[in-house]
Amino acid sequence: MTKPIIRIKNISKSFGAVRVLDGLSIDVMPKERLALIGPSGSGKTTILRILMTLERINDGHIEIDGEQLCHMERAGQLVPADEKHLANARQKIGMVFQHFNLFPHKSVIDNITLAPILTKGVAKPIAEKRAMELLDMVGLADKAKGMPVELSGGQKQRVAIARALALQPKVMLFDEVTSALDPELVEEVLSVLWQLSTETDMTMLLVTHEMGFAHDFAHRVLFFDRGKIVEEGKPGDIFRQPKHERTQAFLKKILAAGHRI
Amino acid sequence: MVESLSLILRGLQTTVSLTIFSLTLALVVSFLAGLGRLSKNSAVRAAAIAYIEFFRGTSLFVQLFWAFYVLPFMGVELSPMQAAVLALGFNYGAYGAEVVRASINAIGRDQWEGCVALNLNYFQRLRHVIIPQAIVIMLPPFGNLAVTLLKSTAIASLIALPDLTYQAQLVRNQTGQTLLPFAIIMIIYFAISTFLKSGIQLAERRLGADRTQPARSA
Repeated sequence: MTKPIIRIKNISKSFGAVRVLDGLSIDVMPKERLALIGPSGSGKTTILRILMTLERINDGHIEIDGEQLCHMERAGQLVPADEKHLANARQKIGMVFQHFNLFPHKSVIDNITLAPILTKGVAKPIAEKRAMELLDMVGLADKAKGMPVELSGGQKQRVAIARALALQPKVMLFDEVTSALDPELVEEVLSVLWQLSTETDMTMLLVTHEMGFAHDFAHRVLFFDRGKIVEEGKPGDIFRQPKHERTQAFLKKILAAGHRI
Repeated sequence: MVESLSLILRGLQTTVSLTIFSLTLALVVSFLAGLGRLSKNSAVRAAAIAYIEFFRGTSLFVQLFWAFYVLPFMGVELSPMQAAVLALGFNYGAYGAEVVRASINAIGRDQWEGCVALNLNYFQRLRHVIIPQAIVIMLPPFGNLAVTLLKSTAIASLIALPDLTYQAQLVRNQTGQTLLPFAIIMIIYFAISTFLKSGIQLAERRLGADRTQPARSA
């Protein structure tokens, strides 16, 4: 019996008086692809940000690959993790953001090689060779020397994906990676994600409003509302026979807005 | 006339040295105090704020007199050059620290978060991602401060440092001429500040603000 690679146990998170996550628990198995859907403000992005250690939790525990993420053991007790522990835990996780977060002062290839060289001590020629392979995979080998400002949104996002992959994380987090793109650029990014799903067996968490893609991509879909999982199941079941009325209402609204399933 | 000119030119050398030393000290202090103000450590932050507010809140003249006339009572004997570099460097460093702080704050949260996702440590984030972008924002206000510092070096003549202004007064005392020496040093100050300004402008073009637009457009 394999163990979950991510164990989220009863976590809560508040921003001021607003409770964004409320006693949430999720287990994610290795190689599993999870789609997190739900109305904005439902807490799905916050989960990814917590897993990337960009937010702290107020309550609960998270284990990644059997090790505590937000806590560490000290004198037999779990205390909030310090920066060193977090840095260690982060090695297993990569994230792609809605707004790409590329470094505008660095060329495309330098964006990709920066972290492997600095954090893993990879020699520059090796890092560059690997970066070129990744750029090739996302179809941008010819842009290696270009600057981010010269790229379209879809191209930027593909570079951002290559950059995250360069660190070879076990878990990849995709936070609304097509939401900031013009409609005609969405497809090129989704096709890279699709390629990843067929060619690798990385664990992936996808927050998205692209229901059609979530349906094909994910093994399991979680529908969130107000910081809780309202419904979860196989994509076919969630999208075709949602049981909960809030799921039904959400999907209806999304469909009316022109998104396809 | 020739003798007057050579006296003034000797002062030019002193002014240029004083400017370079003070600018260097101010730059180092700017970064230390500016980054200190942004530190997560509250003691470091408090020390940086205390330094910045003290030096911005008191007169440069008084600071110079302290460095030269008061510190000896505390066992610190400084030459006029040392005292002037110290006062100018720390005074302008306090203003520079605010420039450093504001420029780093101007870099979006998305850049910091990109660094976290790539697991860069705090020093690497600053060194490779945040400061290279913040420098482009720092340059114009740093240029202004550099020019102001150059002009402020004239106060060092008050502690008998033989800079341009001091030498001009010397010429005036020796020859009785007033217009000529002061006209000459005014032109020289203007020339150096023009030189400084064009240097900064060159650096701005080199770093190319156009290449570092925020990567936000979709």
